[in-house]
Amino acid sequence: MILRILTLLLAALVIGCAPLLLDDGQLSLGMEMLVTFVICAMWNVLAGYGGLVSLGHQAWFGIGGYAVFIASNALNVNPLWLLPLAALVPALIALVLTPLLFRLKDAYFAIGSWVLAEVFYILVQRSDALGGITGMPLFTGGMLGASIYAQVFWVAGGLALAVLVLSYLVLRSGFGLGLMSVRDNEVAAASIGVNVRRNRRLVYAVSAAGVGLAGAVYLIPNYFIQPGIAFSADWTVIMTFVVVIGGIGTLEGPILGTLIYFAIRQGVTDGLGLSGSWYLVALGALAVATMLMAPKGLWPILRDRLHLDWLSVRRPWPGRPDRAPHHQAPAE
Amino acid sequence: MDVIQIERLEAFYGDMQALFGVSLGLRAGETFALVGANGAGKSTLMRALVGLVRDRRGHIRLGGEELIATSPEQIARAGIALVPEGRQLFASLTVEENLQMGAMNRRRGPWDLEAIYGLFPVLRERRRQMAVTMSGGQQQMVAIGRALMANPRVLLCDELSLGLAPVIVSQIYDSFARIRAEGMSMIIVEQDIERAIAVSDRMACLLHGQVTLRVEDTARVDIDALSAAYFGE
Amino acid sequence: MVWVETVLNGIFLGGLYGILGLGLALVFGVMKVINVAHGDFIVLSAFIGVFLSAAVPGVSPLLIILPVVAIAAGLGWAFQSVLMNRVIDSDDMLVPMLLTFGVSFVMRNIMLETFGATPVTLEAGALSRASFQVAGLHLGVLPVLTLAISVVLFGGLNWLITRTEIGRVIRATSDNTAIARLMGVRPGRIYALVMALSLALAAVAGLLLAMRTSFTPSSGIDRILIAFEVVVLGGLGSFWGALLAGIALGVTQLVGFRFDANSGLLYAHLLFLAFLIARPNGLFGSK
Repeated sequence: MILRILTLLLAALVIGCAPLLLDDGQLSLGMEMLVTFVICAMWNVLAGYGGLVSLGHQAWFGIGGYAVFIASNALNVNPLWLLPLAALVPALIALVLTPLLFRLKDAYFAIGSWVLAEVFYILVQRSDALGGITGMPLFTGGMLGASIYAQVFWVAGGLALAVLVLSYLVLRSGFGLGLMSVRDNEVAAASIGVNVRRNRRLVYAVSAAGVGLAGAVYLIPNYFIQPGIAFSADWTVIMTFVVVIGGIGTLEGPILGTLIYFAIRQGVTDGLGLSGSWYLVALGALAVATMLMAPKGLWPILRDRLHLDWLSVRRPWPGRPDRAPHHQAPAE
Repeated sequence: MDVIQIERLEAFYGDMQALFGVSLGLRAGETFALVGANGAGKSTLMRALVGLVRDRRGHIRLGGEELIATSPEQIARAGIALVPEGRQLFASLTVEENLQMGAMNRRRGPWDLEAIYGLFPVLRERRRQMAVTMSGGQQQMVAIGRALMANPRVLLCDELSLGLAPVIVSQIYDSFARIRAEGMSMIIVEQDIERAIAVSDRMACLLHGQVTLRVEDTARVDIDALSAAYFGE
Repeated sequence: MVWVETVLNGIFLGGLYGILGLGLALVFGVMKVINVAHGDFIVLSAFIGVFLSAAVPGVSPLLIILPVVAIAAGLGWAFQSVLMNRVIDSDDMLVPMLLTFGVSFVMRNIMLETFGATPVTLEAGALSRASFQVAGLHLGVLPVLTLAISVVLFGGLNWLITRTEIGRVIRATSDNTAIARLMGVRPGRIYALVMALSLALAAVAGLLLAMRTSFTPSSGIDRILIAFEVVVLGGLGSFWGALLAGIALGVTQLVGFRFDANSGLLYAHLLFLAFLIARPNGLFGSK
């Protein structure tokens, strides 16, 4: 426990001091990594622990961004002060829509949430008030001053640490256990009194809020928001692939996956000099290979190799059924 | 020589071991009964023989050919057919289509659609009906017919009487005389011990995944020994 | 009259949507997997069609369909045998879907890098401009032909599934794979066949769609979402339900188009969501 707190403090210290040492370009990249980790961790909480695979999570990224841009322009307030809206608005919309969305199960839920994201995307694209396809500027961008990259880096860093701590605590709590039991066996979980539906709604809303926050943080330093970027399906693709590569259902998976993603991006783009979306092809190919060869992701393999169990929320199994003859197979 | 030789067969469901070194032999043309309490491993043994329980060790030899590492479809082609517990008919297929599925292997032998309809005339009348909409007894006839259509060397029947009225069960077992007359070797799993004794030549009792008793002649069964083997006293 | 023509054109378009959904439903019915890459295979088929018709000018685009269908079927067979069959037995039903998601994304981006993002159409030459008048209605030959092809494909697949031995084996595998194996059925083969069939259907629809509207490598997203909506609206296992659902979506889209020209698939998506609201008990009961 002490080790974990020390690690966390060290991470906080690194994030706190980084802006003193890094230039704007490096800070921007760092912010992007932190944001990527946040959205992937939020997708992971939903899919890995909640058992809900959403292929439409880009909706919350865009909605979070638009919420802050609209409010900041309208109220003429520093956008960073309005960040709570980037969590609140997606969470509320998510809570309103879950009764509808949860009528779809499993793969149907996955694609259904994608349809929903498309609807948000088209609606924003068609809204003249929001600048349509071209998007709209952030008029209050000037309020952030020259140190904008340091500021959003700090916010992203704080958000990343908060997401890490929160997911750790939640998953160690009774709520987290209830959640995982729902994932593993919905009927059984309901029969022992877990409120399946409420838990799922809650975790979905939290996940939407986290992604919304990340979206706003990512988009603010651009001073401009465009539906094609804010609602790009690529966000969900990155969430999915990073988590699949890192290890679905583990807390460390998204960290490892994020590092691998950026390594691939820099490697393919700068190292191999391949521009455009080739790094995305490489990411997708790695994800496909991971699903074929290591369906649990790379973190569990690494953990077993290095004997690490740093953040795991796995609990020791209360007792293994032994192989004595008096135990019978369940099939009969 | 035995048609099928089972030696030191072990079967696992994940971490759970369900069979602990079962050895049995089935002679050509005989009917062999497996009895035992619920959870004794009878169905597991059946499912292991046809490859539905994937994790298995030991030996299963069909006419000398080793089948322990083969897939269900290869075992089917080699000539073992199962009438599964609960019948498990194909829900979107008619009676006749279910029967035709049994003949997918193209194994040759006396059993074809005509022969099955001769054995169970009611199936001919209902051949265009969806199989799962029929009564339990008629569904059981389809399941038996489907397995026979494969013209197997060994026919396995798992709990034919499950959920059926006694009079229907009797009708179904009456058909066995015809099946045996064609020289079929059979292993049947039966809850009803009296019936098992009546229809079989030899039998074995399973308990906790092990053979606890072998009866070499069902005409002379020691009921006390059987009871002890059955309940494990 | 304009409205009647719009509705009729919606029906013509809907027939194609029905076929997109039919291929998706076939795979889902047998393997319980939603093939997210369905849309991208459709787009790839269209690109192959464009390439072929440029390579052999003067040949009717309708004849181009044949080799493209063969290629699509081959791709489907390979896709299933090489990739999908390795994860199809996974305990987690979502693993195969995520794999198709990965393949979809890789395909889309490779096509983007190879063909660029400029919209392309499959030139149908005189056929695309030919039209006739019936009862005062002005109708294109191509759309009517399209609907005819759709109906033939629906009928053909229905016949294949319900009347032939291979259809019987496909249904049996879909009902109970383990028991089908006891009959000697090799599920991997059946899955590969079903995927080939699904993508062959998709290729026909993809080419016909490419003759009426332009497409880009990213069009796969629109295609898969429409196909998915057809499957949900039409209900599983219902051939004619899929055709009706496709028509409902096609008509909704084109009528919406009349109202506002930038709507794209918005109204089709909204119809789908409205349907979800209207069916409070879920669409498939407990599962």
